[in-house]
Amino acid sequence: MAERRKILAGLSEGQAALVLLLPFLAVYGAFLIYPFFRGVWISLHDWNLLAVAFNPDAKEFVGGRNYVRTLWGRNIEWGLFASPVMQTAGILGTGLAFFLYRTGRASRATALALGIAGLLFFLLPGFHPGEEGRWYDRRFWPTVGNTILFVALAVPGVTLSALFIAAALDGETRAKSVLRTLFFLSQVLSVTVVTLIWQIMFSPRQGLIANITEAFGGSPIVWLTDQQFAMAAIVIATVWWSLGIAMILFLAGIQDISKDIYEAAAIDDARGLKAFWYITLPNLKRTITLVIVLQIILHFQVFGQSHLMTQGGPNDSTQVLVRYIYQTAFRDSELGKASAMAVFLFVIMGAFSIVQFIVGREEG
Amino acid sequence: MRHVLIGLGIAAMAATCASAQEVTLGRFFGACEDAGTDTTASVGEACIIQSIINAADAELDGITVNTLPTDWGNYYDQIIAAYAGGEPPDIHVMHRHRVPQFASLGALAELSDDLAAAGIDTSDWAPAALDAVSYNGGIYGVPMDFHANLWHVNMDLMEQAGLVNDDGTPILPTSPEELLEHAQMVKDATGQDYLAADFAQFPIGVRLVLALMWQQGDNIFTEDGTATIDTEAARNAVSAITQLFDAGLADPQLNYADSQQAFLNGEAAVLVNGTWVVDFYDSEAANPDVALSNYYVADFPTIFGEGATWADSHMWAIPASLQADDPETYQAALQVLAFINDHNIDWARTGHMSVRTSVLESDEYANLPHRDEYAGTADIARDTPASEDYGAIQDVLNRELQAIWLTGKPVGDALSDAELEVQDLLDG
Repeated sequence: MAERRKILAGLSEGQAALVLLLPFLAVYGAFLIYPFFRGVWISLHDWNLLAVAFNPDAKEFVGGRNYVRTLWGRNIEWGLFASPVMQTAGILGTGLAFFLYRTGRASRATALALGIAGLLFFLLPGFHPGEEGRWYDRRFWPTVGNTILFVALAVPGVTLSALFIAAALDGETRAKSVLRTLFFLSQVLSVTVVTLIWQIMFSPRQGLIANITEAFGGSPIVWLTDQQFAMAAIVIATVWWSLGIAMILFLAGIQDISKDIYEAAAIDDARGLKAFWYITLPNLKRTITLVIVLQIILHFQVFGQSHLMTQGGPNDSTQVLVRYIYQTAFRDSELGKASAMAVFLFVIMGAFSIVQFIVGREEG
Repeated sequence: MRHVLIGLGIAAMAATCASAQEVTLGRFFGACEDAGTDTTASVGEACIIQSIINAADAELDGITVNTLPTDWGNYYDQIIAAYAGGEPPDIHVMHRHRVPQFASLGALAELSDDLAAAGIDTSDWAPAALDAVSYNGGIYGVPMDFHANLWHVNMDLMEQAGLVNDDGTPILPTSPEELLEHAQMVKDATGQDYLAADFAQFPIGVRLVLALMWQQGDNIFTEDGTATIDTEAARNAVSAITQLFDAGLADPQLNYADSQQAFLNGEAAVLVNGTWVVDFYDSEAANPDVALSNYYVADFPTIFGEGATWADSHMWAIPASLQADDPETYQAALQVLAFINDHNIDWARTGHMSVRTSVLESDEYANLPHRDEYAGTADIARDTPASEDYGAIQDVLNRELQAIWLTGKPVGDALSDAELEVQDLLDG
């Protein structure tokens, strides 16, 4: 013991920190940093998973070809009104960012993030194949679109419902604590169990939802194979599943708000909804940002719900990016192209992490 | 006391396991909890195959068989990943259509020289079975069955619609027009749908369209690798089916489980599904709680010119690495394959067609329920040309056909998109 203390005492603070960090760095390097760069390396090759397993020389360096094959096409043109709805939304978003910044309602970072997002929405959907042209991979961009749609539905869904439940269940009564546990319980289930439960719920023959619609005289919706409802179905299952953590974060945030403020507000006759709107919400701003960014990053990686409930169908309408990467790598053995798509996904999620970092620093 | 006994039992099992040669086995077909070791009593694919495996584990001296947990939907992804990771199971089941993909890379052991010594008589295999496991002149597996799409028929509904011959067999359509006519007759007489199938998830609908294309002498791509999907034959095949959807005589939104349930509930006169469910539906029909009671199995009818139905084979393979590096386990694995080969009659109880001439000619086989009703299927069995991209091609077809009947995509657009994508796959 004394020996060890002597050794540690002989180290400077920096050296001691390094020694203590070493196990973490080794694991982090071996299981995150190395695989990441390996993935980038693979994405620059024509790399057949099975063929390379039997003959390590079966790969070929192709540079950026996998990226071109995935992201680009033949005779791709850019047009102002190729996709009017999204492009108009993009322009409006950019305008709004500028306006909010000018009038001082948004900070520079928030305005910048919104502005860049708007600009991307304006620019990217403008690309389309010209005459005799086609995307090299017809499925990739629609898949990206589905993933964004999923995130755009799931994140507000989770955030709003978790916020509502947290506000309703904040308190000391026994019933509230039981309900809190119940709402959190779904979070501990694995994706297989969640999707199984919801496949039964959505089943047009035996499902609870179908039975209820039939009891009211309606004809049951075939949720999972109807193009209009399939995405909604996996979003509903996802909201139910990932409510718990968001609720806990909101509860912690709500309990952090000083009771004095509520008491002072009560004197000014601000109770209930009013208190929620003018006190709870503004004080929860940081928690809300955190929950939203965490959910965005989490839900961009959606896989299980789509893979197990709808198999990406019908007609690819619930095909999402990670499932496409999985199929490309393991069904089609095209590891190089799959890695290129994975790098693309990394860039998207990295962008949101940076947004969170900037927003977090600004408010802190 | 009981705990002590159980403990002793476990210890004894552990002791025997330690000296035994362990063979790991990968398979689909689903899980069966209490399959037992009686290979003659189990019902359904999962339980029959597991009872055969359990029996091999119990009866083969010095060999234990360990069935790995795998999942139907992701089976090939799992097997490919296992091969890529250098840890494939010692034996695994696969389809004939996957042989080119695996054998061309040298993943599978070439078994020709070792089968006879293990007690497997290849001359007893039907010629088509030998063909199914052969690649470039070598034998890369032990065939287990031929399976094909059949028409499973609810005779009570057919009777009410007046679609039964004097000899008790169902009257099935011989043209697209008759198909629509029969469907309308069933609807008018019973209020039920004529035809159900999984058009929404697994590629049963694809196999239906393929059969109707083959019946017109067409195929989705040629042997030399040209996609031929945007054709008159494909349009005819698709519209033969969509006419039923358009007239409200079939429901495209049912998936596998729902379409099966619809048939068992007596809500559809015909279910298009494979040979693998014959014994299951037969046992369900005997259950008084199930609406289906008068069950008949028919060959896929010839709706266009020539008879054809989608077919494939299940087979067992051994990784090349096992043959090269671990002769003891390799020999044990061959023993297990020989055991499965010997129990071909038990596997045929599922409804699958046997691959062994001696079984095909036996009375026991001929006496299996409904067997005589689909005796013509072996002669009309077809599949697409061999391709390393079979799985991806099926997926393209499944997606585009679903787009037609689930999302109203124009037939011409869907077929030309499918042709482009399949051509991309064929071009590599």
